[in-house]
Amino acid sequence: MAKSTKKSVGRRNFLKVAAAGAAALVANPTIKAAVPAAKPRGKVLPPPMSPEAEAGMPSSHAEVLTLDRPGSDFMVDVVKSIGFDYIFANPGSSFRGLHESFITYGGNKSPEFLTCCHEESSVAMAHGYAKAEGKPVVVLAHGTVGLQHASMALYNAFCDRVPIYIIIGNTVDATKRRPGAEWTHSVQDAAAMVRDYVKWDDQPISLNHFAESAVRAYKFAMTPPMMPVLLVADTELQENPVPDGVPLHIPKLALDTPPLGDTGAVAEAARMLVAANNPVIVVDHTARTAAGLARTIELAEALQAPVVDQWGRMNFPSRHALNQTDRSHEVLANADVVLGLEVADFWGAMNSVRDQLFRTSKPIVQPGAKVISITSGDLFMKSNYQDFERFPEVDLAIAGDAEETLPSLIEAVKRNINSDRKRVFDERGAKLAKARQESLDRARTAGTYAWDASPISTARLSMELWGAVRNEDWSLVSDPAHSSYWPLRLWDFTKHYQYIGGAGGYGIGYGAPAALGAAVANKKYGRISVNIQDDGDLMYANGVLWTAAHHQIPLLSVMHNNRAYHQELMHVQRMADRRSRGLDRPTIGTTLNDPPIDYAKVAQGMGVHAEGPISDPKDLGPAIKRALEVVKRGQPALVDAVTQCR
Amino acid sequence: MNTCLGDLRHLARTTAVAALILFPLGLAAQNAPAGDVQKGQTAFNNHNCSGCHGVNGEGGTGPRIGPPGRPFPDFVKNVRMPAGLMSPFTAQAVPDSDLADIYAYLRSKTSPTQSAFSADPGNAQHGKQIYTAYGCYQCHGGQGQGSVQTGALRIGPPALFLPAFAAYIRQPTNQMPPYTAKAVSDQDVADIYAFLQTIPVPPPAKSIPLLNQ
Repeated sequence: MAKSTKKSVGRRNFLKVAAAGAAALVANPTIKAAVPAAKPRGKVLPPPMSPEAEAGMPSSHAEVLTLDRPGSDFMVDVVKSIGFDYIFANPGSSFRGLHESFITYGGNKSPEFLTCCHEESSVAMAHGYAKAEGKPVVVLAHGTVGLQHASMALYNAFCDRVPIYIIIGNTVDATKRRPGAEWTHSVQDAAAMVRDYVKWDDQPISLNHFAESAVRAYKFAMTPPMMPVLLVADTELQENPVPDGVPLHIPKLALDTPPLGDTGAVAEAARMLVAANNPVIVVDHTARTAAGLARTIELAEALQAPVVDQWGRMNFPSRHALNQTDRSHEVLANADVVLGLEVADFWGAMNSVRDQLFRTSKPIVQPGAKVISITSGDLFMKSNYQDFERFPEVDLAIAGDAEETLPSLIEAVKRNINSDRKRVFDERGAKLAKARQESLDRARTAGTYAWDASPISTARLSMELWGAVRNEDWSLVSDPAHSSYWPLRLWDFTKHYQYIGGAGGYGIGYGAPAALGAAVANKKYGRISVNIQDDGDLMYANGVLWTAAHHQIPLLSVMHNNRAYHQELMHVQRMADRRSRGLDRPTIGTTLNDPPIDYAKVAQGMGVHAEGPISDPKDLGPAIKRALEVVKRGQPALVDAVTQCR
Repeated sequence: MNTCLGDLRHLARTTAVAALILFPLGLAAQNAPAGDVQKGQTAFNNHNCSGCHGVNGEGGTGPRIGPPGRPFPDFVKNVRMPAGLMSPFTAQAVPDSDLADIYAYLRSKTSPTQSAFSADPGNAQHGKQIYTAYGCYQCHGGQGQGSVQTGALRIGPPALFLPAFAAYIRQPTNQMPPYTAKAVSDQDVADIYAFLQTIPVPPPAKSIPLLNQ
């Protein structure tokens, strides 16, 4: 970076002009930059290098130690032009230039920097945010150790088809690295370690290259199937001045329209569905938006067809008469046409597998039933990681985004319905409505068992929480699988933001940060974000409690504290049972009860309102109500409930 | 003295086994209407019971039900209002007369493990202890309430007769891992069963306001 004074002054003066030009460009990025009078880059002669500089020695002239317009400022202009609201990151020296530009040059607004305590949490927060808000934030991380931390969370988002926008720092030019950490934090191909589970990545070597790749990356991330993308921000690009004489340009962003299913195939699907005696609609990652939710309802109601929800998103109202998820095996066993809409594991939805010594599987769907899939998943796939699940045999495979293909399918279905079919559909709907009420009654009866138990039953926990929030504008920002799905079975979900699905890749450490990320998104809408927090998951990422307190993010967390990595405990127990030995030993390595963790104290230590541990179910409701008052004041709160296992 | 005690214990065990196996099945027979085995087989297949429970009721995605492990009234109740994942079958869908025939058909079946069961009357206190120690609670819950996430049925209080309960533990037909006699003795099973019998039936859901919101 050492330059002669004479040359530097000239360069700085030029840079001021260049910066003004770039700023004007950012104000209207569709207009090409008004480049100051400067010779084209190719014709500019390099400054003569002094003997001292050539030898790597300090120049006899005064060093230039400051600059007015670093490359990272332009990077911030690029990021702002795309329209991000937040940055989720912990600091890292390989992106220090960018960090400083965001908080100073960028004014720490749009995007605003939220301090995280682990890169895995940064990405998982971004994962939850993207599902709640429908667009990504920026995640910053070291290109080596930071990305290594972030990698599992990226994989979760990849499996969950969620856009993540991560920028990592790296120093490609070996001669510019400081000895020590900067070498260990540099890498030839930074994205290599995650390339199997990001949709696209690039390592730009110029600022204009960065601008094009940044816009391209956003476009790719947001096109179904949505996935993470990664950009490498080279430290030299970040920290060096904007180069002389280079016209800077930020390309305009136009998102791709989502891929639609073929019209003829959609018409054939509609004909099959209308003609079917027992059509079933399986939904999973189907509805991304309020419109998507409305469309699944409209299709199901047009057909009076049962809906089986795999709960990847908020696809269908939980208490709707056609929601037959609790009767999934029965309706699928009787189906003559099955329609899958963005189902991540369609084979698994139609078959059952026994986890015994010799694994066997049986079809749930009867032979001869016709199967239709509409998914964008078939349009983009990678080979190494096996998240694509077992190959489903289908009769009509429609490649396209389900949410955007639904309007044409609904229209085609309605065109095919005559009065005879309408009468059949109405009769079917009446039977399904009755069955839905009966299944709800059965679920409520099931909830009575262990109602007064201590540790607290997951049904009791869920319903105490429901009783507290049901009259609020609420959003469940956690996956209730480990609490036996009680909220999805007994709460009244009607709005698209009331549920965001699970981790995607089942990687633990997603829950707490994803809930917080979704709570960031919900905050501006005044929604009460509700999180049933698994204890094992929180132990992966409890730094998010501090992030919640520091940034005053309202989030109501109730611990599902069963004092174990319980899923794994059951797996080890299965092995012991199968081998008929050591039945009392699987708790070794799987439980978190000696000493029991006091999550209220942990949370309090991070600045979060917290109560607990609570083992008496009678004490839980009042504690949740007190915590809710804190959340309504804009703060996070946590209630530690000691619970039954599932 | 020891021999005498041994003899007495053997006698008690034999009596208990007879009571546990014969009495419940005899009771079941008494409570069951006369059904037609042949018609029952036809009805079992026509109503697609075999789809989940296997063609001989040996179990598949659903549990073994041949021979039936519960009295006829409980059998009917479980078909009409199942406790687990099974969907209900109304009297319109499967008439009571068909159920009587199906029950007769299922009673004609034998379980490979049921007849070998042998235990003294169960000790509930010891049963509670080993219910936890042997990990039963992990899937079935601390009070046997079951879970749709683990796939474990509600077993507290148990709906099955002890021999059927034991037979399922030894040779589960669904996802449950097997508990062999090498690891869990017949007496342990009887003790666990005795513990589960102590768990009270909860009040109806309608009496709990939180469950009706």
